[in-house]
Amino acid sequence: MKNQNINTEQDYKYGFTTDIENIRAPKGLSEKTIKFISKIKKEPKWMLDWRLKAFNRLKNLKEPNWQKPKYPKINYQDLYYYSAPKSASEKPKSLDEVDPKLIETYKKLGIPLQEQKKLSGIAVDAVFDSVSVATTFKDELTKKGIIFCSISEAIREHPDLVKKYLGSVIPLTDHYFATLNSAVFTDGSFVYIPPKVRCPMELSTYFRINASETGQFERTLIIADKGSYVSYLEGCTAPMRDENQLHAANVELIALDDAEIKYSTVQNWYPGDKNGVGGIYNFVTKRGACRGKNSKISWTQVETGSAITWKYPSCILQGDNSVGEFYSIAITNNHQKADTGTKMIHLGKNTKSKIISKGISAGKADNTYRGLVDIGKKALNSRNYTQCDSLLMGNKCGAHTVPYIKNKNSSSVVEHEATTSKINEEQLFYCNQRGLNQEEAIGLIVNGFCKEVLQQLPMEFAVEAQKLVGISLEGSVG
Amino acid sequence: MIENFKINSSEIDKIKKISKEERNFRINNLNFFNEKGFPNKRQEDWKFSDLREIVQKNFKKLNVNKVNSKVKKINLIKDFDHNYIEVVNGELKSSNFKHEEKNKIKIKNFKNDNFLQESKDNPLICLNHALSDKGYHIEIEENYKFKKALIIYNLFTEDLKENILNSRNKIKIGKSSELHTIDLVINDSKYKFINNVYENIILENNAVYKNICIQNEKNDGYFHKFSKNKLASKSKYSSFIFPSGSKFNKLDLEFNLEGEDSECNLQSASFLNKDDHQEIKTKMNHLAPSCKSYQKVKNVLSSYGKGVYQGKIYVKDIAQKTNAYQLSKALLLSDNSEFNSKPELEIYADDVKCSHGATSGNVDEDSIYYLMTRGLNRKESVKLLIDGFLSEVVDMIKSNSIKKFVRSKLQGQIHGY
Repeated sequence: MKNQNINTEQDYKYGFTTDIENIRAPKGLSEKTIKFISKIKKEPKWMLDWRLKAFNRLKNLKEPNWQKPKYPKINYQDLYYYSAPKSASEKPKSLDEVDPKLIETYKKLGIPLQEQKKLSGIAVDAVFDSVSVATTFKDELTKKGIIFCSISEAIREHPDLVKKYLGSVIPLTDHYFATLNSAVFTDGSFVYIPPKVRCPMELSTYFRINASETGQFERTLIIADKGSYVSYLEGCTAPMRDENQLHAANVELIALDDAEIKYSTVQNWYPGDKNGVGGIYNFVTKRGACRGKNSKISWTQVETGSAITWKYPSCILQGDNSVGEFYSIAITNNHQKADTGTKMIHLGKNTKSKIISKGISAGKADNTYRGLVDIGKKALNSRNYTQCDSLLMGNKCGAHTVPYIKNKNSSSVVEHEATTSKINEEQLFYCNQRGLNQEEAIGLIVNGFCKEVLQQLPMEFAVEAQKLVGISLEGSVG
Repeated sequence: MIENFKINSSEIDKIKKISKEERNFRINNLNFFNEKGFPNKRQEDWKFSDLREIVQKNFKKLNVNKVNSKVKKINLIKDFDHNYIEVVNGELKSSNFKHEEKNKIKIKNFKNDNFLQESKDNPLICLNHALSDKGYHIEIEENYKFKKALIIYNLFTEDLKENILNSRNKIKIGKSSELHTIDLVINDSKYKFINNVYENIILENNAVYKNICIQNEKNDGYFHKFSKNKLASKSKYSSFIFPSGSKFNKLDLEFNLEGEDSECNLQSASFLNKDDHQEIKTKMNHLAPSCKSYQKVKNVLSSYGKGVYQGKIYVKDIAQKTNAYQLSKALLLSDNSEFNSKPELEIYADDVKCSHGATSGNVDEDSIYYLMTRGLNRKESVKLLIDGFLSEVVDMIKSNSIKKFVRSKLQGQIHGY
């Protein structure tokens, strides 16, 4: 078994494992596994049928192979599709009933699970391997009519909402990994903000892969009803293992008339060691639909972890005057590979989108921005601005930009610019002169380079992200 | 692939005097083409130009037979003195180098002597390799600078009808030599035909090559040209392309900057309307340190015009101190026109300056308003702005007489808008 921890230098501080007894689904991908997951989650029949439909569809699909990072073939029969701490099989009613070991884990991660940490003011849904273990601040949110719970709970308690929206942005028949997720997804968050409600606090999910040989397949569904607002944060970590673990999540956002969703991610999965052994394959499908007029969806992501990141948070701008935004920092070091970007599909009139992407590669890493801006025939007076900058450190890494730009009507304006360069010697010299050493100076310059994106993050995350930027690049200069 | 477009291997037997090796090379390529057929949008390089669909829509069958190339007298350009060669339906007919020293220039029909299989990604290249039996081959000795420009008259005769022409050309410029060429397309055919060209240009150390390509009459031709260019140390290549008016036109240009300090400059301006479909695809490979490349592609599109720009800058890890720039600008004048672009960067060296920009939109309303307050009507204002937009490229041509000639051609198009 390859599931011992690797004893390398501890530059990945979330690399610990928690020794907890697990319940697992039978190994491998089969109808039996899916039925097992569905049963243990006490799902209604329609949900099981939905999963099986996806599973049938999956049989005809092939893994995509056009993306730049190549990876060894994944043996889907060699994975566990469900793994849960034993103590969580009966969902605890209050935090006191949660396994103390779990709470300790989350404490190590710095997640404010305890409500006594009320001061931090963030409602958290924490997902440990395959199940959601605790959701905090539930009462306060319920008073406003906000539903914030795990998706399994939502399937049981709010089936109408789930039935209406699940799969409406990422259909069952999407690409391989999205369909795989639809068949075997285990848990995730569900958020519903009723009309004209402004969510009083940041909602947050923390994902952690603990058990070995498991894939994490979470599904998040966020619905912002007319005139509402929500800001949602997502963070991820995993223990250090010398095997590659698969993480294939689906995130669906739906914004109705005048609603706004702000979705921020700090992704810090285990990136593998210095020689590229181990690490998470982060193959994620994120898509948001601006269904209503004047709606807005904003994606902000800081990607520092994972051996291979492959995700394109997208916006489908259906409603007139809707706005899509994408802010991204992708940092790759050592043997990491990132292929990330966005799709902005303009369908409604007067739609606007803005893309700011910052890629930093060091070591032997490869960093690709891949994006699509598609302005349809009926999307009159639409506007897009794209800026993607890449920073290279050393001549063994690569930075690539692959934008697809389509404009099909004459009243819309599309602008795209991209630059690639290394850190300016003069800036470095200036910082050195003021008493900063090389590493501090680079940290400072890189943070400046990423400023436009970091500014978009909520306060608590911004601080963490800034530190992460520094840590991820440690040892990359010499 | 539809049977009509398959090409029988007996066509190769019609080509005379070929060695066994060459025959095999041609048959291999032909088999590959027959297997793949015309490229369609499933291939990444043809994503925005589905040639298979276009060919199937417009052609019932393809005629590979040799065409009778009777030529009437070509009307030579009188605007400035020049040397010229005449190429009829892809075949070299005559040459005239009256302004130059004859012993410095070699010109003959193209004869292939390289039977290495090139990339199989593009079936049209395979088709060309299988069937091409004509074209020109020009070689310039070392240390010779052309005194006057060389005009290449590319004539397509009225005998062409659903023909597919395959030709291969090669230009080799010796050390420290200089050549200026102007490619002119003259089309007398009233029918549809396909012209498939494979071009090879080699610049040795310190060589300079300047090329202007003009093709602007309305025609029913479907053009595809693959051009492979090799730049040795300190050589300079500059190219101005003014293509428009064809039903389909794809220029696939590959530049290999293999020597240090080589420079490549590519600029293009086109006005596309009435069902024109045009794609410019470039691949700028920076393979040695301190090279420079500059690309600027400008397109104006109206009524059902479709423009595509796919540009790629590749920088190898040893190619430090690279300076590469890529700019694509498009003006969309009507809602049924379309512009797609994919400006790509693939960079493996860190001490480089690479950037690209791409914009598309309509003519600026404020500028129109300004001109209208000065007494122009709307149409005139738009024309003036388009003229300014495209002239930026023309102005970069150094020779005044050539600049004037190109401008008159371009203005003719804008005037017709």
